[in-house]
Amino acid sequence: MWGKCGAISRPNPCESAAAPVRLGEVFRQRLNVEFATRRQTNPRYSLRAFAAFLQTDHSTLSKVMQGNRRATVKQIRGMGKKLGMSPEEIAVHLAAEHVPDASTARRQARLRRWTAEALAVVGGAEHWEILRLCRAPGFRKDCRWIAAQTGVGVDQVNLALTRLLRLGLIDGRWHAQTALAELTEAEFRKLALARVRQKAAEDHIEFAKTKG
Amino acid sequence: MGNPVVQFQIVSAAPEETAGFYASLFGWTVDANNPMGYRQIDTGSKAGIQGGIWPAPPHAPSFVQLFIGVADVKSSVAQAVELGAKVIIPPTVLPEGEEMAVLHDPQGMSFAVWQPA
Repeated sequence: MWGKCGAISRPNPCESAAAPVRLGEVFRQRLNVEFATRRQTNPRYSLRAFAAFLQTDHSTLSKVMQGNRRATVKQIRGMGKKLGMSPEEIAVHLAAEHVPDASTARRQARLRRWTAEALAVVGGAEHWEILRLCRAPGFRKDCRWIAAQTGVGVDQVNLALTRLLRLGLIDGRWHAQTALAELTEAEFRKLALARVRQKAAEDHIEFAKTKG
Repeated sequence: MGNPVVQFQIVSAAPEETAGFYASLFGWTVDANNPMGYRQIDTGSKAGIQGGIWPAPPHAPSFVQLFIGVADVKSSVAQAVELGAKVIIPPTVLPEGEEMAVLHDPQGMSFAVWQPA
């Protein structure tokens, strides 16, 4: 059945890097291509006739084809069968309806990343410990030494160090920012969370600019 | 001098398992005996580039980064930002004197610029 798409030149919406669309759009495209193909054969072929063939209401079909309404599970099953789709193909379209679009997926990934960042700051005492060590005499720029001093693994030290760098809480030479010298652990945590929030907000603004 | 790709880095949610997997598969040796505790990969060949393994932050997927050799990290970062890149980790001097920074290119792909000691 997909061979008929060749009659109408349309890019596959799922493969368009410039404008990612909801995967469920593919079913809508499929209906439009089918309708256009039938009209090429018979210019008088109407939307009502197409709806009758699909055994659905023409007003609903029109909204689905224009992207103003999502097809329900029942409609995808029914219309897919009438269009000659295999059960496997129908299953793919049903699954596509439930996959978040690229923009939503990226927004969710960002939210997960920033939440994880905030949780790491809240739950990881090693951040404060590293900062304390950075200010102390005898500090050694050696992650194995820092790990031994803080009682956490080297990987955890490296993750905490890069987080402190990302948040601007230590500088590129691993020196604690001067303004942090007088902070208590609770005040440091509050400041670190504020930096996470600030970075997340900047990221959100950037995301909105690029529309995901 | 140019700006060659000097290293690949696997950012892994399970670095130790990743090291074990590639060591078993390709016979790579992984040595973390350095001040960063960095898992340095030796592929055992002079062809291609060498690599390393770095822990991924929690809830981040595993991915691969390329390190691009530059003459001056700070000016490369400034130039990258002008071209639309975003700084993830600002220029940082590592324990053995190398300097590096991590950025996202305008498409959101992560890469690092690296300057030898």
